[in-house]
Formats: sequence, C-alpha cells, structure tokens
Amino acid sequence: MFTRLISRLLIVCMIGLPFQVHAGLIGTDEVVSATQAAAARTTVASVLNRSDVAGQLQAMGLTPQAAKDRVAALTDAEVAKLAGQIEALPAGADSSVGLILLLILLGVLIWWAVKK
Amino acid sequence: MGSQEISIPAGQKARARAGFLIAALAAACGLGGCISLPQTDALRESPPQGLPPRVELTQVPFHLQDDFLCGPASLAMVFNAAGVPADVESVTPLVYLPGRKGSLQAEMLGATRRSGLLAYPLAPQLEDLLREIAAGTPVVVLLNLAFKLAPVWHYAVVVGYDLDKREVIVRSAKRSRDEWSFGFLEYFWKESDYWSMLALPPGRMPATAREAEYAVATAALEQAGQARGARESYRALLERWPDNLIGLIGLGNVEYGLKDLAAAERAFRRASVAHPQSAVALNNLAHVLAALGRLDEAEAAARTAVSLEGPMQAQARETLESILKRRASPAAATRP
Repeated sequence: MFTRLISRLLIVCMIGLPFQVHAGLIGTDEVVSATQAAAARTTVASVLNRSDVAGQLQAMGLTPQAAKDRVAALTDAEVAKLAGQIEALPAGADSSVGLILLLILLGVLIWWAVKK
Repeated sequence: MGSQEISIPAGQKARARAGFLIAALAAACGLGGCISLPQTDALRESPPQGLPPRVELTQVPFHLQDDFLCGPASLAMVFNAAGVPADVESVTPLVYLPGRKGSLQAEMLGATRRSGLLAYPLAPQLEDLLREIAAGTPVVVLLNLAFKLAPVWHYAVVVGYDLDKREVIVRSAKRSRDEWSFGFLEYFWKESDYWSMLALPPGRMPATAREAEYAVATAALEQAGQARGARESYRALLERWPDNLIGLIGLGNVEYGLKDLAAAERAFRRASVAHPQSAVALNNLAHVLAALGRLDEAEAAARTAVSLEGPMQAQARETLESILKRRASPAAATRP
C-alpha cells in the first residue's frame, strides 16, 4: 500500500507537467482544452491521469521509463480516455493464416453479395 | 522487449474462427439484405467525385506481422511510406503492450509522434480514406474480426483502391497484397467506429484535413517534444487557416522554445490581433517582449491580459508582477 503510494508519487514527479514549456508562457494545451467541448481539464487532473495511466502501463509489462515516455507522447484527452480503461479499450493484435484464408473466402462472398 | 515468445491463446483463436463463421453467415444473410453497410451503399449510389478510378501505392513496403504485432507492423509500413526508417522490431517497444498482447489506438498515435511524424485520425468515412490514398498516403485501419461482445481487434494498412471493382488493396498480417471489397472492409471496420489514422511528415497536410482536428494533431506533436516537426506543422496549418488560435499560440511557443524570439513575437502578436480577447496570446506576448528587453510594451500587453477576465487571469497577473519587478530593478533582470 505504502510502496504503491510512493511509486505513484514518484511517477508524478517523473512525469512532471506536460507542456511545461517555459516559466510564464501559457502552454498550447490550455488553448486546446479551451477550444474542445469536453469539460475543462485542470492541470492537476491531467497530471493525476498521466500517473494513473503510466502506472497501468507498468502493470502491463512496461518498464517505468518506457511507460513514462509513452504517456508523454499522448494528449490530455487521450490520457483521460485511457485512464482506468486500458483493460477494456481495443488493442489490435490478432492474426493467423487460417483467419486470413477465411477472410478471403468471406471477401469473395461479400463481394458477390454486393455486386449482385 | 524485442521478439515476444507468445503463442496465440486457443480461446482467442477459436473466438476469431467462430467470428468468421458468424461473419460468413451474416454475409450470406446479407444476400437477403439484413446486413447494414451504409457507407458501401452510399458510395455505390453516389461514387466519390474527383478521384482517379484506380490507385495503388506500390511504394508502401510490406512488413510481415508476427503474432500479435499487427500494430507495430502497420506502423512500420506507414512510417516507411512517410520516409522514416522503421521495422517491426524497432516500432514494437514504442507501441506494443505485453499485458494486452496488442496495441492501443492512443498509443498508435503516440508512437507515430515519437517517430517525428504527425499522427492524424481520419473522419470515420470510407470516402475520406479513399481521398487520402488518392493523395498518396496509406491509411491504418482498426478492424474487429469477431463479435461486438468478444472482439478480436486487428490493424491493417490500406494502400490502394479500385472504384470500378469497388475494392480496396490491403496489406494485412502475413499477406502483402489483398483485395477486399468495400463491403468486406466496412463489415469489419465499422465495429471500431471506422477508426483510421495517417502518419505524415510534418508540414504535409492530409487531403481531408479539418481545421480543428489538424490543429489538435499538431499541438499533440508539440506536446510529444517534436518542436521542429511541430513548427513545420503549425506553419502548414496557418497557411491554410491563418487565424487559427491553437496554431498561432503553438507556433509562438515552439519558436520561443527554439530560441527564435522574433518569430515568437510575430506569432503572439498575430494571435493577439486576430483574437483580441485571448488572454493567452497577450500573456505570452508580454513574456516574449520582456525577454527581448522591451519592458514598456511588455507591461502594456500584460496589463491588457490582466484586464481580460477568465481562467488565465491569475497567470496574467503573475506575468505583470514579474515585469513590474524587473522594471523596478533592471540590473537584476536577466530573466523575467
């Protein structure tokens, strides 16, 4: 429990503030979130979401550094969507030769159906 | 990470197989008209105007997909097409998630940005996909190969189409060139809400670019730390939509980060002229002017920023105070 708390705090520290351009300049993300219809996201919420998602990515087999780097490449909106949803969201993966053969068969079928 | 030692779980494989049987049944059922493929139907009734009848981007290389690595393989193909060297092995650590044995959509976009390319999700339209291919850009699509409730997600790359035959040409899994009918593509594609994405060299605009989406995609490139790429992309955005606020603020911030203060000033000034109510534009302009040592102008801009009420007022006030402090003791003022 305690280590979990510490590790989450560490993640927050590591990630830092997204768009931390330069002291005093207001980041582009402020303009982006202002123009988006979604509820205004506070910086605090954004940082918490990021640490949350980074923690989940780690639980899914990434190193802390890899998780941090990946989260840093996402927008606030993307991170908000991932938070708590990593188990459920689509993860493209599957393929097998048998599948593809069936695909082709089906393709012919639908093609024929559509042509008709 | 590198090569993953995984075998496809029997359950998932069986599910996918079963899915195909159902799909085949559904397709047969489609003969009776009980399958709904709205976009395919719409394209049949009114074929898209102004497109070449047949396009195939033969220059898009093929990367063979090992088990579960359709995400990295698809990205490697579109990265190569955009001029970035990549293969499955190099992309896998950027996007593959071992715990899910797959790749998430958001991370497909993130990995694209980390590779220096603009990630652009397309509008959920088959016609838009065709237009991008006609413009020379391959498209990554997300398909569900099984059921809505027990999905088997799969990424593939569309590299061509034939309007007369009503087919797309696809690189998928272990096959470098498949021809799928529009209906076949749509059947599997619609489950992902027609999700698709482009990977573009920064500065090149999608053929179907929309202002808000392109601006957000560019800001995301900036956020991912690709300052130079973001600068190219912001410039392209502003060439088409000169008053876009995200573009003007973003360009100013990027120029500032790249230490081109004069260019940053120009961008923020344009922003404050086109959007006189934007406290962000004035606040950032005040900062750049202060950094340039023009404290009179900086103070005026900061005062206007403070006078605009709104969520940025606190930050604008801080800006004003730091400028006033500098004016009081100009000797100690190397940085605002």
